[in-house]
Amino acid sequence: MWRKRTVKTARLNVKDGDLLTTLRDFFRSILRLEDISAILVPQHLPAKNVVMPTLVTDPEQLNGTDPLAPVFPLNGAKIVSRLTRKPMGAKVAAVLRPCEIRAFVELVKLNQGRVEEVVLIGVDCLGAFKNSDYIRIVGKKEEKFTSRFYKDALSGKKLTIEGFDLAPACKACENPVPNGADILIGLFGVDTDNQLLIQARTPKGEMLYDKLDLSDTEEPPERARAVEFLVAERTACRDKMFVETTAATNSLEKLNTYFAECVNCYNCRVACPVCYCKECVFVTDVFNHEPVQYLRWANRKGVIKMPTDTVFYHMTRIAHMSTSCVGCGQCSNACPNDIPVMELFRTVSYHTQKAFEYEAGRSIEENIPLSVFREDELSEVVGIGKAHG
Amino acid sequence: MKKKIGKALVVGAGISGIRAALDLAEFGYGVTLVDKSPHIGGVLSQLDYQFPTDRCGMCKMLPMVDRDTSSQYCLRKGLFHENIDIRLSTELISVEGEPGNFQVSLRRKPNPVDPSRCNGCGECVKVCPVEVPDAFNAGLSMRKAIYLPVPHAIPNTYMIDTNVCSRCGECETVCPSGAINLLEEARKDFRILVVDDELIMRDSLRAWLADEGFSVDMAASGPEALEHLAKQAFELMLVDIKMPGMDGVELLQRAKENFPDLGVIMMTAYATVETAIEAMKIGAIDYLLKPFDPDTLIPMIMRIYQDLESKKEPPMEVGALVLCGGTSYFDPAGGKNTYGYGIYPNVVTSLEFERILSGTGPNQGRLVRLSDGKPLRKVAWFQCVGSRDIQIDVDYCSSVCCMYAIKEALVAKERAGGALETAIFYMDMRTFGKSFQRYRDRAETEHGVRFEKGRVHSVLYDENSGDLIIRHVDSSGTDIEEIFDMVVLSVGQRPALGTTALAEMVEIPLNQWGFGQTEPFSLTRTNQEGIVLGGSFSGLKDISESVIQASAAALSASRIIHAAGGGLRPEMTSAKPYPDISGEPPRILIIVCTCRGLLSKLLDVQQLVRCLKTDPAVDQVKFLEQTCTVTGWETLVELVEKHTPNRILIGSCLPYVYARKIRELGQRTGLNPALIEAVDLMLGVRSSVLKPEAPSPDEISTINGELSAILGAGLARLKWADPNPAPSQKIVQQALVVGGGIAGMSSALAIADHGFQVDLIEQEEILGGNLNWIQRTLEGSTTKAILEETLSKVEKHPLIQVHTSSRVRTSHGQVGRFYTTIEDKENNIFALEHGVTILATGGVEADTTSYNYGTSKAIVTQKELEKKIHDHSIDPSRLGSIVMIQCVDSRQEPRNYCSRICCSTALKHALYFKEKNPEIEVYILYRDMMTYGFTESYYTQARKSDVIFIRYDVDEKPLVAPMNGSVRVTAFEPIIGQTIRIDADLVVLATGIVPILSKDLAESFGATLDRNGFFEEAESKWRPVDSLKEGIFACGLAHSPRNITESIATAEAAAQRALRILSYERMPAGKVVAEVRHSLCSLCERCVEACPYGARVVDPELEKVLVNAAMCQGCGTCATVCPNSASILAGFLDQQMFGAIDSALEGTA
Repeated sequence: MWRKRTVKTARLNVKDGDLLTTLRDFFRSILRLEDISAILVPQHLPAKNVVMPTLVTDPEQLNGTDPLAPVFPLNGAKIVSRLTRKPMGAKVAAVLRPCEIRAFVELVKLNQGRVEEVVLIGVDCLGAFKNSDYIRIVGKKEEKFTSRFYKDALSGKKLTIEGFDLAPACKACENPVPNGADILIGLFGVDTDNQLLIQARTPKGEMLYDKLDLSDTEEPPERARAVEFLVAERTACRDKMFVETTAATNSLEKLNTYFAECVNCYNCRVACPVCYCKECVFVTDVFNHEPVQYLRWANRKGVIKMPTDTVFYHMTRIAHMSTSCVGCGQCSNACPNDIPVMELFRTVSYHTQKAFEYEAGRSIEENIPLSVFREDELSEVVGIGKAHG
Repeated sequence: MKKKIGKALVVGAGISGIRAALDLAEFGYGVTLVDKSPHIGGVLSQLDYQFPTDRCGMCKMLPMVDRDTSSQYCLRKGLFHENIDIRLSTELISVEGEPGNFQVSLRRKPNPVDPSRCNGCGECVKVCPVEVPDAFNAGLSMRKAIYLPVPHAIPNTYMIDTNVCSRCGECETVCPSGAINLLEEARKDFRILVVDDELIMRDSLRAWLADEGFSVDMAASGPEALEHLAKQAFELMLVDIKMPGMDGVELLQRAKENFPDLGVIMMTAYATVETAIEAMKIGAIDYLLKPFDPDTLIPMIMRIYQDLESKKEPPMEVGALVLCGGTSYFDPAGGKNTYGYGIYPNVVTSLEFERILSGTGPNQGRLVRLSDGKPLRKVAWFQCVGSRDIQIDVDYCSSVCCMYAIKEALVAKERAGGALETAIFYMDMRTFGKSFQRYRDRAETEHGVRFEKGRVHSVLYDENSGDLIIRHVDSSGTDIEEIFDMVVLSVGQRPALGTTALAEMVEIPLNQWGFGQTEPFSLTRTNQEGIVLGGSFSGLKDISESVIQASAAALSASRIIHAAGGGLRPEMTSAKPYPDISGEPPRILIIVCTCRGLLSKLLDVQQLVRCLKTDPAVDQVKFLEQTCTVTGWETLVELVEKHTPNRILIGSCLPYVYARKIRELGQRTGLNPALIEAVDLMLGVRSSVLKPEAPSPDEISTINGELSAILGAGLARLKWADPNPAPSQKIVQQALVVGGGIAGMSSALAIADHGFQVDLIEQEEILGGNLNWIQRTLEGSTTKAILEETLSKVEKHPLIQVHTSSRVRTSHGQVGRFYTTIEDKENNIFALEHGVTILATGGVEADTTSYNYGTSKAIVTQKELEKKIHDHSIDPSRLGSIVMIQCVDSRQEPRNYCSRICCSTALKHALYFKEKNPEIEVYILYRDMMTYGFTESYYTQARKSDVIFIRYDVDEKPLVAPMNGSVRVTAFEPIIGQTIRIDADLVVLATGIVPILSKDLAESFGATLDRNGFFEEAESKWRPVDSLKEGIFACGLAHSPRNITESIATAEAAAQRALRILSYERMPAGKVVAEVRHSLCSLCERCVEACPYGARVVDPELEKVLVNAAMCQGCGTCATVCPNSASILAGFLDQQMFGAIDSALEGTA
């Protein structure tokens, strides 16, 4: 499985309680390193008031960097996959949320990205609003909004702003710490008015860490407690969501109702970081049925909902991707009709991943369940394995 | 079509016969496969589970190359192969001619049921009044006179046991398809003349014979008979010997003068038996002793009738015969029967227990006693029942019973969910096969099977409970009485019934126990060239050994056929290409067979047509009375010619029998057979109609639904069917053999003898491997002759290129084309291109540091001893005592396997010493003596020669300590229960065999190694010399520990498997092959990982996943793991599957 290492930890002093400036300086120092050619980092776009991933090679172009803004319009794993799919002959650092790192780990296992030329920098995740909510509430406030948000979040205040709450996926996310990162930027349990935590979590991270001229320290004991508390809170929220979602979908009828508003736009699959098919089977000729077929279906029942194959589509996506679902919530984010796609995906994924003793994005060494053959798994389902009990 | 030159006859369609037939057929020869019984599969048709998987897997023997020539489903159900003509209920009755050109005659037992018409509905069984024990269930259940020989055969057609049939005719009346004809029409043409002076005799004979359907005439005297004969042709004459005037013998003489082909049977009273025998010398076939009844007469007449009928057919010409007659089993009811078999109801044989375990067995697989229904909680197995028993003159080991007993215990335990106690009482657990020791150990340690050493003397029966009481002595020497629910007798093997007659007919020798005798160093060749043996016919083999031997037998037969000019598969004659219809919209003709009008009564025909025609792809729907008859089929062809559809769907029964017909239909009508499909309509009818004569409206509507569902599924498949065949793969028709020991040389020769170039690589300076030091075998054959003969053939063979002092550097490629680089003595590197690879890298005696080896000259290994005996550095007359220790570092982790040859080597040397100097004390310290098969007799001989055998336990090994010149061996002797000390002049260690196949070498070819470093078979039983990756084979010690003869057999088997590929210039792909739609592929490579046959590779330059269509076996795993159908399987497209599902749902809606 995965080895436990001694983690190199350093303190980064925060000037004037301004985390963003401190982080920008830190990213600049990384970009200035000889073997880092570019850094992928979320940034306020100058033209419009949104935060998007940017690929930066000029250290002076990091002024709008904002990894703490409570929004991520898309899961960055897809972007990192594009950058690393084939050798590019240079090394890039990528600043990502934990769920983005975990999705990237899945994509690497699916051969859609490579880790060799990327250093993953993960930031403790405070959560995010839905895209549309964020745009509504942020107004022109931008950075002020970010700093208000992270201060509230880190001091444990309620995060409801103007009636808008964090996205359901984030509220139910039990992975706020980017454990899979090469370099971790720690905020939880840290006196963020004065300092940040920088940790090297992999040999690759350590190599970078060593070049950054940081002063070693110990991880503050409060950190573990803070993380534990947060995870417990989120897990409770998650489990409540599982119960509610199960109740809402535990019959075919209810499932049909759940997806009643689906229009087959397939935005959820486009937004999904781990849905990696070049072209979804649902947009290929396989589902371009013969016209007479629709009539036959209608004939059988007297009435059918159009477009057809909506629940089938979601079930297929669950069948294909639930073992790799990292729960980032981008599917719900992308739905034009506010179907709670994430809720069902996470509920099912929790069970499928548990069945295979697998956790999406946990480790690059673990094989994706259906790609490995284990003679003794799921013996109660397959009827073999525990032979001669 | 392929032109088949060269034919072989395989006698016996058990596992060996099937393997040999398939091997020959895959090579392109025509094969006639006959079996006495009405089904294929031999004893395996009765066995559902085999170790080490404890499941079946027989289908893995089916052809993988050009696999569409063969059926591709459960092989226990049946077999079709284009080149194999299977004749069941058929016996070989005569063989004439010479190797390469034999004339053989066969006799088929008649079956009144026409298999082409029987659709297996089973109506006949309901009315049959006759009940007899069912041989399939080992007599544990009953069956009717009309019955299914095996419950699972495809097509499963009924047959009549004519020996017990009362000919009441009920079945004939109820048969809906008119398949039964109790009085064979042909018998009317068989005229019999009855000649007797007594009217009553004439009359009753006429009545009996006419009942059987024969035409009978009568004559009261010799002259009258001659008149009849002159007027009309007769096939058979029954003649009374004692008649006034011209007596029977005179009539015989005179009749034979004019009608030499007339069959004559003499009828005689007891007093004139000698006359009758004399009559046979002048041409009578047989005689009947008066008085006789129909039960004596009819079987004799039938046999003669069949013989004469078969003789009417010209004898078949074949190049070689492979005899795979199998074995039968010891019947424990005979003799002293101290276990009470046949007397106590819960003492069963192992075969009966297999049936009890089976889902098609008498209990449907429930583990209960047949006698009283009590669930089995405690079962004992007794080993060596009818084996290793000098008292009954069976001085051999049946080789298979130890493993099947363990398997039965494990399967029973699994079935019982653990609530079953099992104990195996044994003398030696003979776990000499590759993975057997670990299997046995797991049975003991993980699953709790109890192993009790010792033979149980007798069984007592408790009449009240039905339980069985046995007494035995446990390992501590205590007498124990135990009660068991059931006792299973692991019965040994016996020569098959009829072995002697068959051997006499073909003039091959049998050994002293009645099994076929082969030539030295061959498991297959007999003293009759062109007649070879396969499987247990020559004695006692498990499945994997039988399969190896069958392939070796196929090779020996093939060699003869080839040498006699039988030739190889000629190029396929290029058939006219089918017209391209890919641009046309589907225009489907649906043909529904109404089964002699039966369906028309059960259907709303108009409604069905309307329903089918809603699909615009359907052009015509036509109904036919019987597509299974010639007339019906011709009508079908006419319909096709009239309507010229571009796709055809046939709804009938037994669609699998249409495979051949569809190909013919394609050829006749010019429509690609890939666009013709047959579906089974009877499936839908059988389940839903109770009274076919008066179906209710509801039933009619149900049937309409069922039929439209079945036809709709066929339509969906047909609409999307792609007629373009997958590309074939070019073959480099050359072989590479790595390793020049006896195995490597034998396989190289076998391939080269078939006309293909072979490169033989040997890393040593000389060829020969271990035969350079092994002098002779236990059986007394010297190895020198075989080595020299083989060497000289190899060196002289124009098609064999020998590379000594050379080694393989790297290899890549796939079946059909490997590129291998070789480095020779001068460090020159050169490349070879070859289509197949045989790994024969051999093995060596294992090193050891155990038992203080290396600290004294008096402690040697068996190999060192062999060398010392040969160079006379050991003088038997100067030795006082020798201790041999078996299983040194073997059969325990990490080398937990039996090396198989050590026990016989020890016996060989022990017997040598005893012969040279009977005064020498020879002690053999052993764990289990692995003298399997006929080797057992040498174990007996050694004991008789006063070799002392002391069993030791792996946890309490002997101690060996060198001390001034001699060696002190301390061991616990279990029989006397004391520790003993022996001061030996010589201690000989049997360290076993380790392979020298390097992992890198194996992997560079795509083969894998097992945990002991031996070649890993694709499947240990069914594909024992193949690698999972096609085109790589292994033999000899690289494959597994084995003796010289067995090694040669693996070499021949590997060569045969390789030849099957080399015989093609281009290797055709199957119809069902996977493809990649590159525009959809995300290159996640999950399909590459998932492919079990290594048929997929990523081409880094093209950035594409490529499929080797010839290696692809169409399993569909790749299509399953691919999330967006970028990987697809021809014939199983999403559209086809969805269409089939939709149809099924519509049918039930």
